[in-house]
Amino acid sequence: MFDFIVDHYNYWTYIGLMIIGFYAMMTKRNLIKKIIGMNIFQSAIIFFFISSSVKKGVTVPILEHAHGHAAHGLEHVTHAVDAMQYANPLPHVLMLTAIVVMVATLGVALAVAIMIYRKYHTLEEDEIIMAIKRD
Amino acid sequence: MKTLSIIIQVLLGAALIYGTLDMPKWGDPHSPAASHVSPYYLQHSIEHTATPNVVTSVLADYRGYDTLGETTVIFTAGMACILLLKRRDKSQGKRHV
Repeated sequence: MFDFIVDHYNYWTYIGLMIIGFYAMMTKRNLIKKIIGMNIFQSAIIFFFISSSVKKGVTVPILEHAHGHAAHGLEHVTHAVDAMQYANPLPHVLMLTAIVVMVATLGVALAVAIMIYRKYHTLEEDEIIMAIKRD
Repeated sequence: MKTLSIIIQVLLGAALIYGTLDMPKWGDPHSPAASHVSPYYLQHSIEHTATPNVVTSVLADYRGYDTLGETTVIFTAGMACILLLKRRDKSQGKRHV
């Protein structure tokens, strides 16, 4: 039972983070708090993917002694690489892309929030809805 | 509204935790994510791209078109921010600033 918790608690941490972000997106009235919730949500997804790249007792996916060999002959290097020695590089790459998308959505969301504030002079959702109904 | 959303969060959390019961152990070197595709990239990265950093070789070489699309995303987001935040003249814009 204890081993099971140790092997899986990382997933539960990310689920907790994701639910905090989702709760903030659903219930908070302030638009900035909603954006913060969206960021927490996205960070939880990124942590989840990064944790799937972890292998116990390995190093970062940068191949050792590769520079000198690459200049001379490549054949003997190809067979020397032991995949169990390096962490899984693919989740890292995918999450680099996801971080870029996260920054892009954050920027556009903040710009839209600024526009809403310029027009209605508030970021509270219910006040904005009242102002829209009044117009 | 608040109680409804809390109920939704609890149900979602329970479903996700039920889903993690079958997930591989943390740091397991023989998990499916680590044993099917990624050894190919680690073993052939030097041969194909002559780059010791596998993350870089996948990002800029194997998935080069994806990175190109990523720059399009950044460009679109930047243009959207500029167009939204640009101050309009009071005469032509309907929005008062």
